[in-house]
Amino acid sequence: MIMRNLLATTLIMGLATPAMAEIKVGFIGSLSSDTGLSTLRGAEIAIEELNAAGGVMGEKITLVTADTQEDVTEGVKAYEYLAETEEVDFIISGSIDDVSLGWLPRMQEYQIPTLDTWTSYIGIIDMVVEDPELMAPYFMNIASDEALATLYINFGADVLKAKMGWDSVVVLAEDTAFGEAITGLVTEALAPVAGIEVAEVITYDVGTVDFAPIFAKAEASGADFIYQVSSVNSQVISSQYVKLQVPMAMTGVNVAALGVDYWDDTGGAGGGISTLSPLPSVGFKLDPTSQAFVDKYQEKYDSRPTVPHFNGFNAYYGLKQAMAAAEEAGGFKDAKAWSAKMVKQDLKLELDGKLWLRYGFWEAGEVEPVTDRTYPQNALFDLSAPYEDAQPSMVVVQWKEDGTPGVVYPFEYATTEFELPSWMK
Amino acid sequence: MGLRWYHFALWIAFIGVMFALPEYVSKGTLRTLIFANFLAVFAISWDVLSGRTGYISFGHPFLIGIGAYTSAILTKRFDFPLEASIPIAVLVTMVGGLVVLLPALRIRGSYFALVTLAYMELMYQLVQVIRPDLTGGTRGMSGLPTLTRGAENGFYMSTCLMLAVALSTWLLMRTRLGTALSAIGMNEDAVSGSGLSVTRLKMVAFLFSAMLAGLGGAMYVHYLGSIAPRALFDINFVFTIIVAALIGGAGTTIGPIIGAFFLTFLLEYLRPWLPGAERYLIYGGVALVLYMIQPKGIFELVRQSLSKLRRAT
Amino acid sequence: MLQVLIQGLLLSGLYALIAVGFTLIFSIGRVLNLAYGAYLLIGGYAYFYFTQAIGLPKFAAVLLAAVIGCALGILKFLLIVRPLRGNHVAIEISTLILAVVLQSAVVLAFGDSSKILLPIIPGVERVAGAAVPYSNLFAAVMSWVILIALWIFIRSTHTGRAMQAVSMDAKGAAISGIDADRVNMITWAISGTLGAVAGVFFASYTQLYPGMWVAPLIIAVAVVIVGGIGSIIGTLIVAHIIGFMEVLVSTYLAPELRGIFTMVLIIAILVLRPRGLFGREEL
Repeated sequence: MIMRNLLATTLIMGLATPAMAEIKVGFIGSLSSDTGLSTLRGAEIAIEELNAAGGVMGEKITLVTADTQEDVTEGVKAYEYLAETEEVDFIISGSIDDVSLGWLPRMQEYQIPTLDTWTSYIGIIDMVVEDPELMAPYFMNIASDEALATLYINFGADVLKAKMGWDSVVVLAEDTAFGEAITGLVTEALAPVAGIEVAEVITYDVGTVDFAPIFAKAEASGADFIYQVSSVNSQVISSQYVKLQVPMAMTGVNVAALGVDYWDDTGGAGGGISTLSPLPSVGFKLDPTSQAFVDKYQEKYDSRPTVPHFNGFNAYYGLKQAMAAAEEAGGFKDAKAWSAKMVKQDLKLELDGKLWLRYGFWEAGEVEPVTDRTYPQNALFDLSAPYEDAQPSMVVVQWKEDGTPGVVYPFEYATTEFELPSWMK
Repeated sequence: MGLRWYHFALWIAFIGVMFALPEYVSKGTLRTLIFANFLAVFAISWDVLSGRTGYISFGHPFLIGIGAYTSAILTKRFDFPLEASIPIAVLVTMVGGLVVLLPALRIRGSYFALVTLAYMELMYQLVQVIRPDLTGGTRGMSGLPTLTRGAENGFYMSTCLMLAVALSTWLLMRTRLGTALSAIGMNEDAVSGSGLSVTRLKMVAFLFSAMLAGLGGAMYVHYLGSIAPRALFDINFVFTIIVAALIGGAGTTIGPIIGAFFLTFLLEYLRPWLPGAERYLIYGGVALVLYMIQPKGIFELVRQSLSKLRRAT
Repeated sequence: MLQVLIQGLLLSGLYALIAVGFTLIFSIGRVLNLAYGAYLLIGGYAYFYFTQAIGLPKFAAVLLAAVIGCALGILKFLLIVRPLRGNHVAIEISTLILAVVLQSAVVLAFGDSSKILLPIIPGVERVAGAAVPYSNLFAAVMSWVILIALWIFIRSTHTGRAMQAVSMDAKGAAISGIDADRVNMITWAISGTLGAVAGVFFASYTQLYPGMWVAPLIIAVAVVIVGGIGSIIGTLIVAHIIGFMEVLVSTYLAPELRGIFTMVLIIAILVLRPRGLFGREEL
């Protein structure tokens, strides 16, 4: 009885998905987070523009979504849904690290061209290095962790050491794989490259309710400033830092501070915080093309995120590049052919006659000179000033206490200067 | 054992329908069925421990997680073949079952539920802190060896697993052991008064439940190909397992299967119409209303309406 | 040393406030209210909505949050607890489902990005190397005031004594003419109110996010297990044990082991002394 009903419903469902000549794009990500929505809306605008210009290969592009709720198992189900029920041609993802890791085995199985716009986990790029065949359809158009951390060391040398005169740091890292990886990179390189000694590394539990004892411990270390690494519940540590008026500067990675809605979410209790950010970040000067995208975005959507996060830009440009690659490769069906064309995509955006943003990819075997390793199918970046090959892997932004965010490093991209919170002056 | 011809007829019909399905349904539906099968295995395993004996566990992912992590670590970090890692994982999970049994020897009711919740929480924290080089820390592990590829193979594998688990549980529960376990659920003191060793009975139930959880967990992780602590040791996962068992009908074997299929398909069929958070609201709401109407589950609802029908004719 | 003492007192006050509403239901109704964390969730979001979205004064917003929590408690009693009377497992499961439903409702209404509450009283004082935000001090003092008021209420009012009687012996209470239904409803109402107020303080300590009902539930569970049922004073003491343990572990050992110690304590107490440190003899 139940089985028969089940069969009947299934058959109806089967009929409900029509097969027409169209390019079907699947979005995977959370439909209720700023992260997910940035990617989704970036993709929507790109599709709108492409369809207005006549579609791709004469076919219209349609978009279907699959919500992950930022849950790993839901992510696997969502990927399966896109691949087998919707039978999409291309998948654009706004997934967070562990969700991407969850569905990656499915990507390897289905071989559907897939572009990740948010996760920067270097472990995924390592998978491309190890198994280029299986990972051929996978692209990540945000600079990976290792590149982010490397440039951050330069910030340590050029600003924290040279300008602020700080010699020692206490690292406050969350107890996650992300925290561990970034802490490892930073502690290894800060002393030899930037001349800043690591006085102590304090690891904390992401469920910590009260940071007072942890900040007290950091103060007791006698270091000049705090380096925080926080990707989970990041608002808690930054807002308690402000509420407790900790008498040490705090900089580092704070994922919560990456969108403009951070200010409203913290009710303004987030001033003084600085964090590295992939670009285009909050407070970032935009080239005309990107500005036009943001204008269109704000005309179209009136709910949060009020300005797309960096991954919204990645989705907008990345989707167009994926379609261009498909046109060159004769569609998405042959994932290897598509992959070969995708890796060649190269978009250069200029501001005031200078290369400002570049959307391209590292090719297999291409060695990045500063870190001395390869980043196949990862976004292009440049780790040394004056950033003539591509944009830097990240910028450092600081939220001023009046609520305006600005870029403080690299100097070529800076809109304001790094400063101490008011209670320390 | 009180076996009747129609028992076999029903089982054969059920098995027949399951194996005929790939002919009639889309690949996407098969994928959904795979998740329903795994959820059914977990719900049956929970039911053996909790539904029958009345020791409600809020930490069943503790056991599933032991199975899943053991096999994942053995294959990924030590290059064990799957044929070896899955049986080892099942054995390790059975040891975990003894750990769950420990408090059950002294405490009952809500207190037992709380301690199992604490077990799961502890496991969640430990996995991230202790040896993240083995467990993969918060991000977990990806690229684990998989048992099969493709929707159809996965469907056959998970269906065989589910049917094997269901049949063996059903047969076991029809022995005197099953009756004794249900009696514990009704009145533990009466059982111990009648001269049976309650401790030994509980141990058998907990070990059997842990065996199923470990087997299910290990197969599940090698179906998914990835594992993350947040997806496993999560109150939402507990919620899905318990609700599947209860909505279907606790204390029966077919009940958890019905519940698992009902919930999985409810969630999946809402997707095209309600892609966002509304889906979970409706899903939870339906579960709550159904449960409030009949705490004994769909099985009981069907049984009641059947007997009404019979009386009417 | 003084610094640890101050930080411990502040955190423990918050924990006591979180746990007491849960203990109350567990003692009097003998029911694990797994949706207890949802009061904190709803209380916190209600406060956020009234102050930071509508712009009501903070005091009014706390009151409104408390009223909503109270209503939620009564509704839960009328719609779930009373119809399922006596079936503890069913009540526990339905409250768990309800918590998940409320979580999705919050995601729907507010999205799933975290929000930070503005401090109820801005400002911070440094005492002996410890930073004491006025807000946290206020939360700790309020939690003491609320707990003492609750203790007096249970000790010296008619309703309070009826609650005590139901908690000790429901049948006996019924014989002596106490309307257990009414007492239970009042208890659920008080528990909801306390939960919502605790939610405002908990959220202003940490953050608002849809999954925030789990962490306080675990804290409440820990306090109830370690303390045992039936004692407000026991709740207060155990909240301090757990609060101080956290601060001590963070300061002298390793902050990342914070949660593990609490869990190990729970399991050890449950296995070694199932009635808790201060629990009554009967379960």
